[in-house]
Amino acid sequence: MDTLLFTERSLWTMFHGMALGGGALMGLAIALFSLRAMRCSGVPGATADSQALHLTWLIVATAALLWASVLTGTYVTFPAYRAVPPAGVADLGPYPKALIQSAPGTAWLHSFAMEAKEHVPWIAAMLATAVAFVGLRYRTKLLGDRPLNDMATVLVAICFALVSFVALLGVLVNKVAPVE
Amino acid sequence: MASIGSGEEPVANGAAMAAFLAAGIGACALGVIVILNETGLFAAPALYAPAGGVTGRTTLAAAIWSICWAVLHRRWRDREIEARRVFALSLLGIGLGIVLTLPPVWKLF
Repeated sequence: MDTLLFTERSLWTMFHGMALGGGALMGLAIALFSLRAMRCSGVPGATADSQALHLTWLIVATAALLWASVLTGTYVTFPAYRAVPPAGVADLGPYPKALIQSAPGTAWLHSFAMEAKEHVPWIAAMLATAVAFVGLRYRTKLLGDRPLNDMATVLVAICFALVSFVALLGVLVNKVAPVE
Repeated sequence: MASIGSGEEPVANGAAMAAFLAAGIGACALGVIVILNETGLFAAPALYAPAGGVTGRTTLAAAIWSICWAVLHRRWRDREIEARRVFALSLLGIGLGIVLTLPPVWKLF
């Protein structure tokens, strides 16, 4: 076999989107469910302590995945996406941004999808970090204190919505103009 | 608002409120930086040329977020803060940040 099945750029894109972004999305979904399902109203006991500890580390891991996805997206896969083709090149396949801008029907994938993907994930990462910090500092109170639980739940829900949104946009962009 | 939790050692809610409000400020800062860039009023320098200006914009917003968090945490960590108002402000900042980073909104400026 004289050609690689996957290029390094393609592997980084899959790692960024599927391993890091997908992992963060799963973590957020579990955290969202757990914040509601494990909420307790009484004095926390050993069970609540254990649940809070597991939930806290889940949120910390999710925030770490999210930051890793954001940073690899910005500094590794985005430069490959926005590579400028040399003048006169006929095959725009290796230049995803130029490829999707070359047709009116796909231009929105850059002007809307990719432009949104550049910034929105950073907001999600900040939110996840804030909730992870609160989990580390307050532990059981994240489940036992109703107002704190409600606020954390709202932020995780926003974060989940944002990450789902940019993940969908990423799938659409990569479907039309994959980084290869 | 009462102290967070119902255990033996109440912990002031200030640190949580500082984290939430700082996230709102960071999100809002990113939105404002993006709008300033799109209107040509301010362009954060690119920190990594192959990725372009997004590296400068996001790093600046992350710096604002970090500094605001550190300052708020230092001031609020041992205090009880009025949670409802601070959380509403946080959500306002987050909402503004999200809206201002969406390309269709840029055309309004």
